Amino acid sequence: MSGSHDTREGLARFLGECWAQDVEVSEFRTASAGARRRNLLFDATRAGGECVPLVATIIPNAAIQVMPMEVEAANLRAAESVGAPAPHLVGVSDDPSYVGGPFFVTGRVEGESIPRRVLRMVGEHDGLGARIAAQCGDALARIHRVDAAGVHPKLPRQEEPVAMALTAARQLLDGLLQPSPTFSLALRWLERNRPAEPDRLTLVHGDFRNGNLIVGEDGLRAVLDWEVAHIGDPMEDPGWLCQRMWRFRNDALEVGGLGRREDLRAGYEAGGGSFDEARFVWWKIMSTLKWGAGLAGQAAAHLDGTVPSIVMAASGRRIAEMEYDLLMLLGPAGASG
Amino acid sequence: MQDRPTASELLDAIADLLEREVLPAVQGPLQHQVRVAGNLARILGREVRLGPALDARERALLAVALGEEAGERTTRELSAALAARLDARDPDPGIEARSHAALLEIVRGKLSIDKPGYDAYDFAGEAGV
Repeated sequence: MSGSHDTREGLARFLGECWAQDVEVSEFRTASAGARRRNLLFDATRAGGECVPLVATIIPNAAIQVMPMEVEAANLRAAESVGAPAPHLVGVSDDPSYVGGPFFVTGRVEGESIPRRVLRMVGEHDGLGARIAAQCGDALARIHRVDAAGVHPKLPRQEEPVAMALTAARQLLDGLLQPSPTFSLALRWLERNRPAEPDRLTLVHGDFRNGNLIVGEDGLRAVLDWEVAHIGDPMEDPGWLCQRMWRFRNDALEVGGLGRREDLRAGYEAGGGSFDEARFVWWKIMSTLKWGAGLAGQAAAHLDGTVPSIVMAASGRRIAEMEYDLLMLLGPAGASG
Repeated sequence: MQDRPTASELLDAIADLLEREVLPAVQGPLQHQVRVAGNLARILGREVRLGPALDARERALLAVALGEEAGERTTRELSAALAARLDARDPDPGIEARSHAALLEIVRGKLSIDKPGYDAYDFAGEAGV
């Protein structure tokens, strides 16, 4: 990976080519540097002196990317085309000569995205949480207007999302180090209560939650992190959003600790979406199971030496949280036959 | 028998050290790891105190859910046996309701060690379909 000086020069060269003019890059700083991707904040100054706040998302090693950058960038374009709040895409490239790996550049949306800070801001402004929940509904309805024709041809497609989720869950459970009877009970419920495959397959964000939202005092400003988007069942998104994990102790507010399901649903329907309550609950339970099995997988990755880490090890002691959530969601009435 | 401090007293001492002395002295990603380690020491302190009684209770509850005698089987073996029965779509008409009741008590026990208070939220209004 190139040094920061080279990265700055590479970004200036890239933007100069995008905009066909000389560009200067300044105020260059790292916002986050995960194992898989780096987010760099910077300002670009155009030839006329106009200063544009931007973000570069860089994959240092192309071998570990979840989704080709061009495909993820196409998701941003699709979202913007239907008026969903997503950062504006400035440019994308797989050419490693600019910054050492695939990357894209977007406009920078100011605001808060760290969940606890988001919830603190919401707590200080009456009605803000409900407004954001409704705006999430509207954003999802817009995202779900996009079908397979509106996305990159290489975007993953789930032709039968319900069957696929059940198969994936079965595989996750089969791979557990220690079987969980609670997870088995939940999967049995999910199989017995499986909805029909959806009438319409749409763009699904796949990780739409408190933590991937930029908000301000005026409400929802942008939805981030489109790297696990796919074509699938639109009700997967609200189901994932509403699992307890994303409420950060603000448990009574189902939508990310921000608002009520009614707020989300009202926004979704006002945005032209059709909210299927039973399907939503099914995906919420599936999401909770998936997250629980994921925690078990993290603990296993520590134990088998793949990712030795105290944090991964600790995930094993969070499985009980997901088991509790599952049992409460199923309810004694759900566990029959 | 070991002399005092007991295992749980020592684990609390380790947690105190990590949270009060080490945490303020470190930076960056290590901060999060130290916080996690301190919390794990607290968890282990509770496990030493509460674990044996909860394990015995879990063993009895699993036997009830299975509708079998526990016999010589360990808690871990009984738990795996119940998971296998549920996975295999056991036709026993009562197994799901029995399992649900037993597992809820078992999970509340695990949470009393791993995350006390997590089960205070009762999901009123969002459960079921």
